[in-house]
Amino acid sequence: MIGDAQSRRRVRLLMWKEFLQLRRDPLLIRLLFVMPILQLVLFGYVVAADVKNLSTAVVDLDATSTSRALEAHFTASDYFNVTEHPSEDGVQQLMDTSRIAIAIVIPAGTQAALDRGETAPIGVVVDGSDSQVASVGSGYAAQVIARFNAERMANSGVVVAAPGIDARVRVMFNPTLAAVNTMIPGLVAAIVMISIMAVMGQAVVKERERGTLEQMFVTPIKPVEYLIGKVTPYALLATAQLLLVAGVGVFWFKVPFAGQISVVAAGLGLFMLTSIGLGLLISLVSHTRQQAQQLMMLLLLPSFVLSGFIFPIDSMPAAIQPLSWFIPLTWAIEILRGAFIKGSGFEALSTQFWVLGVFAVVIFGAAIAATRRRLAE
Amino acid sequence: MTTASVAAEPAATNAALEADGLSRRFGDVLAVDGVDLRIQPGAVFGLLGPDGAGKSTLIRMLATVLRPSAGDARVHGCSVTRQPGRVTPRIGYMSQRFALYPDLSVEENIEFFATLRGVPATGRRERMLALLRGMGLDDFLDRQAGRLSGGMKQKLFLAVTLMHAPDVLLLDEPTTGVDPVSRREFWRILAGLHRQGTTVLVATPYMDEAERCTDVAFLDGGRVRHRGSPAEIKALVPGVLFEVRASDPRAALAALRSLPGLLAVHLYGDVVRVLCESDAPHAVGVRLAEAGLDGQVRRTPVDMETAFAFLAELGRGGDSSGSATGGKAS
Repeated sequence: MIGDAQSRRRVRLLMWKEFLQLRRDPLLIRLLFVMPILQLVLFGYVVAADVKNLSTAVVDLDATSTSRALEAHFTASDYFNVTEHPSEDGVQQLMDTSRIAIAIVIPAGTQAALDRGETAPIGVVVDGSDSQVASVGSGYAAQVIARFNAERMANSGVVVAAPGIDARVRVMFNPTLAAVNTMIPGLVAAIVMISIMAVMGQAVVKERERGTLEQMFVTPIKPVEYLIGKVTPYALLATAQLLLVAGVGVFWFKVPFAGQISVVAAGLGLFMLTSIGLGLLISLVSHTRQQAQQLMMLLLLPSFVLSGFIFPIDSMPAAIQPLSWFIPLTWAIEILRGAFIKGSGFEALSTQFWVLGVFAVVIFGAAIAATRRRLAE
Repeated sequence: MTTASVAAEPAATNAALEADGLSRRFGDVLAVDGVDLRIQPGAVFGLLGPDGAGKSTLIRMLATVLRPSAGDARVHGCSVTRQPGRVTPRIGYMSQRFALYPDLSVEENIEFFATLRGVPATGRRERMLALLRGMGLDDFLDRQAGRLSGGMKQKLFLAVTLMHAPDVLLLDEPTTGVDPVSRREFWRILAGLHRQGTTVLVATPYMDEAERCTDVAFLDGGRVRHRGSPAEIKALVPGVLFEVRASDPRAALAALRSLPGLLAVHLYGDVVRVLCESDAPHAVGVRLAEAGLDGQVRRTPVDMETAFAFLAELGRGGDSSGSATGGKAS
């Protein structure tokens, strides 16, 4: 069907036209390259960033060398930034105004109690409105106090059992490394999906709205030629985008790439076909660009929420988890994460490849069938 | 009514455009209802009618971009339903809306569609320049199409549809929303194409443009209500037409409704147009005087606008003699 020279000429012509139009829209081009970088920076630095420099208040009611030593431990830690020394009643006010996230209250008589060999309670008040700050902050506070205890006992000559607990707890609560490493492969897949669907979803409906699609019907161009000429430029563009994202991920965020390029390429290829098919289907059923946009949001939102891109699937309610199986992004992310982090090959990821392959064939096939029908009308 | 020059002998296989019982349904609406047409090569055929009459639907079916629900049409003998691939090279179709790429230049738009239609590269540029020169667009080769004025856009659109030298032009309201000067200019170009032998089917809501056609058909409710040459259409109007200029046109209109021998009366701007059975301007003057009004009564030739207004009224009045020979009961 794409055999003869006339046909190839028409496909090339359509591609030339698409590139010409892309070039005339410098804003779109810039958006297509700035958007993924911005997302990468946002996800890489903001979302996955460790909790550090918590504004801290120390209420020292003991005012002894022990209480000052404890405060010094908090000050020395990267996680706490002791900024306030209020009275006990002042804590509430500071927390209400978000000037502090955590307060350490050292009761009067702490040193005396310790000297007597009793346990001395220390108050740790955490702002619970941000659950991450609350859990991470209180965890760090417990560590600082534990270290203080260990040092005090060491100084007093008591033998202390392995203080390795400290390190283990910190890794658990410190998501920095793990988050970027799992986020980047997911982001590569998400960006492929967003950018292909955003552009493909508008592609056909735009020509329909402008009437140029109808004008195309009175020329000898065939639906398949139209499809190839229309899809290829955006597939190339998406490839450039994901290379950029993967490059920034590997070279800037130092995401280790343990896998084979061929696994990543095959996974992304299948996922691109799926995304192009979804975008085309949106474009074909929509009559206006607004409709296409709404439909795209309808597909993107559950994809992001349910695919494990942001929230781990394991932590979803059991009843919801099967929904993620019906989302192509889920499988693309599993393939990419497997390939990037674990270095998994085709055998290890065969289930994921099969499922994604079925998605690609069904969705892209449906899009071609729909194109033939809708373009013929 | 007869369809004299348009409906030639039944075996008119040499017609440029033929439609037989062409119909299109959109849900419950029958947009085009059994239209028969026979348009001779070289005609400038005006498709007239109000908005929603079915003009666009009819043209889109003839252009192969919309499938008929029933019936068929042929362009130089090729069926629009069975052989669309043989129809499209022979037609040029201008949709009602400007359908070129606004972000491509004049030259790029012409190049794109000409290449798509397989216009040979040799001589393509010369043809483009000649066409654009004829339309006064040769200074705007690099201008983006979206930045042209309304009239220039339509001329560019026409140039794009002319690049492959079609035998039949299907133009859907090409001058709607275009200023009067550009409209005249556009029709001057159409007249040139007519002289070269191109068959033109043009839909228009403007009755003054109908006067420039060799043949017209009046479409309403999806059916052809009247057809013929402009002269024939005007000759369908019976009686004699008078124009009455009165100081109070509305009072004059009311008074003339009871005129003996009245066929129809209309207010047209601030002029009352009276169609009478006989040539009796005196009777009109008398009727006005009886009502205590004074006004000038003048005999006036029937123009297309008046003709269709009266024919529509006659049709509604149950007088079927003047209507619907083109529409076939579905």
